[in-house]
Amino acid sequence: MTLKQLVLSLTIAGVSSSSVVAEKPTTMQPYSDRLEHTDLAIEMVPIPGGSFKMGSPESEADRKDDEGPQAEVTVSPFWIGKFEITWDQYDTWGEQTDQLRRKMMSVDPSERDILVDGISKPTEPYTDMSFGMGKGDFPAICMTQHAARTFCEWLSAKTGHYYRLPTEAEWEYAARAGTTTAYSFGDDPADLDDHAWYFDNSDDTYHEVGEKEPNPWGLYDMHGNVAEWVLDQYDPSAYQSVAGAVDPLSVPKTLYPRIVRGGGWDDDPDMLRSAAREGSSDAWKEQDPQLPKSIWYHTDALGVGFRVVRPFIEPTADERALKWDKCEPKQVDSD
Amino acid sequence: MTQTPSRRQFLQTTGRVAAATTLVSAATSNVHAAQDSTIRIALVGCGGRGTGAALNALSVDNGPIELVALADVFENNIKSTHAALSGHAKVGSKVDVPDERRFLGFDAYRQAMDALRPGDVVILATPPGFRWVHYTYAIEKGLNVFMEKPVTIDAPTSVRMLELNNRAIEKNLKVAVGLMCRHCRGRMELFDRIQSGEIGEVNMLRAYRMAGRTASAAVPPNDGSMSDLDHQIKNFHGFLWLSGGAVSDFLIHNIDESCWMKNAWPEKAIAVGGRHYRDGCVDQNFDNYAIEYTFADGAKLFVDGRTVPGCKQEFASYAHGSKGTAIISTASHTPAKSRLFTDQSMSKDKMTWAFPQPEPNPYDLEWADLIDAIREDRPYNEVERGVMASAVTSMGRMAAHTGQEITLTKFMKHDHEFAPGIDQLTMGGDSPLMPDDQGRYPVPMPGLVKKREYMDAS
Repeated sequence: MTLKQLVLSLTIAGVSSSSVVAEKPTTMQPYSDRLEHTDLAIEMVPIPGGSFKMGSPESEADRKDDEGPQAEVTVSPFWIGKFEITWDQYDTWGEQTDQLRRKMMSVDPSERDILVDGISKPTEPYTDMSFGMGKGDFPAICMTQHAARTFCEWLSAKTGHYYRLPTEAEWEYAARAGTTTAYSFGDDPADLDDHAWYFDNSDDTYHEVGEKEPNPWGLYDMHGNVAEWVLDQYDPSAYQSVAGAVDPLSVPKTLYPRIVRGGGWDDDPDMLRSAAREGSSDAWKEQDPQLPKSIWYHTDALGVGFRVVRPFIEPTADERALKWDKCEPKQVDSD
Repeated sequence: MTQTPSRRQFLQTTGRVAAATTLVSAATSNVHAAQDSTIRIALVGCGGRGTGAALNALSVDNGPIELVALADVFENNIKSTHAALSGHAKVGSKVDVPDERRFLGFDAYRQAMDALRPGDVVILATPPGFRWVHYTYAIEKGLNVFMEKPVTIDAPTSVRMLELNNRAIEKNLKVAVGLMCRHCRGRMELFDRIQSGEIGEVNMLRAYRMAGRTASAAVPPNDGSMSDLDHQIKNFHGFLWLSGGAVSDFLIHNIDESCWMKNAWPEKAIAVGGRHYRDGCVDQNFDNYAIEYTFADGAKLFVDGRTVPGCKQEFASYAHGSKGTAIISTASHTPAKSRLFTDQSMSKDKMTWAFPQPEPNPYDLEWADLIDAIREDRPYNEVERGVMASAVTSMGRMAAHTGQEITLTKFMKHDHEFAPGIDQLTMGGDSPLMPDDQGRYPVPMPGLVKKREYMDAS
């Protein structure tokens, strides 16, 4: 953690989640959502709603066809994680370290503990899913989109606030942070070193979150470190029919491809651009020695993680079922 | 994630040819064209790994091969295995297992093997406690065998397996053991380089598998929805008679690859271990183990195993020599990314060799190598190596569980067979290890119970 981050986190540490009462988006505050029975918190940054041009202009270097045509879309206000979800945060769900600690301290389960108990947990991995690159404050990796979605479900139960993955539009809006250039700091990949971990500077490994310069809206590692899951199905022609949409989302109907954004430590500069899109594939499970392959792990996606968002207006149960949480095919553990 | 191969390959150090494909095409067969050259496969033990092994088998592309029989003690396993394999895009067409060749029960292994002809292949992928039973029958039937690791879990069955294996060798059966790291082309080259003296005398090796909770090592109490026997088999990593526990199942690969690089089996072991978080679990495992093996020349192999969430994780093996060091495997089993260094701290600028990436997948290679040997009728038997790796691993576990120094000579003479009646089990019958009236099982008591790893009725 840099001194700057430390100061920043201290200034908002006083704002506990329960006191985050926002009437209008203009009063949205950054806040820190503490994870009970741990010494962890997830820091959230407010993103006011607005319209922007999604995709890249044809003139942009290394642009691919799936980034166009550029389309004006509107996103409603939301909070987004200041950082990628870390291993410590992720393992609180996956390994139930919060509940282990609660039991060790002989604390009776609260209503919320009973609630999180009902959320699916990933099956135990057959290997160290950090592949020797480090855990703790390093970004969690190698999870399927289903696992990332389930983490959000758990986080919602755990905190009482509705969390989910960002839509592709929300992600790009937050990544651009008002910019129209290839990266949120300009067009020149030569400046990447100050802002991102990628193939040329990562030393073949991911890095602890928040070490590089944040984007203009204070978000770290939107470019690089790990590519981040969004909610959408990957559709290369999606932008042809999205102009004018409010909160667009391609609800997934097939397992592959789904979208990760922002590129990772093993990517080249072109994949780190704000507009770059990447689809998942079953090759991401290549070295899983089990059959059927796990619904929780992408054993070969060492550069894929995620961050969470919380919409300002919490959707109703119906809206969640019909749109935000909708996802096919249903993922079922083989056991 | 997006690869730009040319640029990345340019950055790699040179070595042997890197096969990026997972489907390793082996030499074509020498089987007489007049005969039916189809290799039939039966799978005994339809868990996740067994099903994965069957997929690896059916993916070998050097002649006709098909899956014809399935055996398990759980109906659900048979169903899900059949669904996964027959619906698989690449190998679905090679699956021919109608209802009458899906066998349920403790004697299902016999029926599944009866569906094969001599020269076909049976995959033994049940919990390892059953291995000697199934291997006995496979030899009787003249079948080639792929058996998953570990192949034994205690001393008496280790001795038994070695004896059994003599018959397999006499019959020229091809027998593979699922220590796939031995088939990794990167580790093979590393072995050659170490043996030729590139890091001098190997004085010390280190192996780690430190992770969170792993597989079924920690077993919650039986909630009464199934018999104790079924509950134990479902959670086989938790019970020594079935699996040898967390040490045998999780640490054997790293122990084996380290001994391979040393080109010797250690002569003795001492170990520490214990269990801090019981959390109501009823299994027989510790949650952390540290084993120190000693080789004849005094060299040491240190092994750390842990299944505690939230702690430092490492899953790798290293060798230290008088002239340099080696990374045997980097993280998990594949890719190994084997490397050599001239210093002791393995600094990047002291690296002298690295196996080029991407490297072929050893889970596929071990099958390509076996099927190759079958089609070309070359001698092929990995059992002795597999038994020794299993025994050495069990010796380390026993040192931890008893709190004593155990020599390999002493270990091999030990008389505690965990499940002498394992070949007589019946569906709905008792387990060789029954819980007490509170659902608890005997656990190791180092220093108090020294002559065996736990107290049972036998």
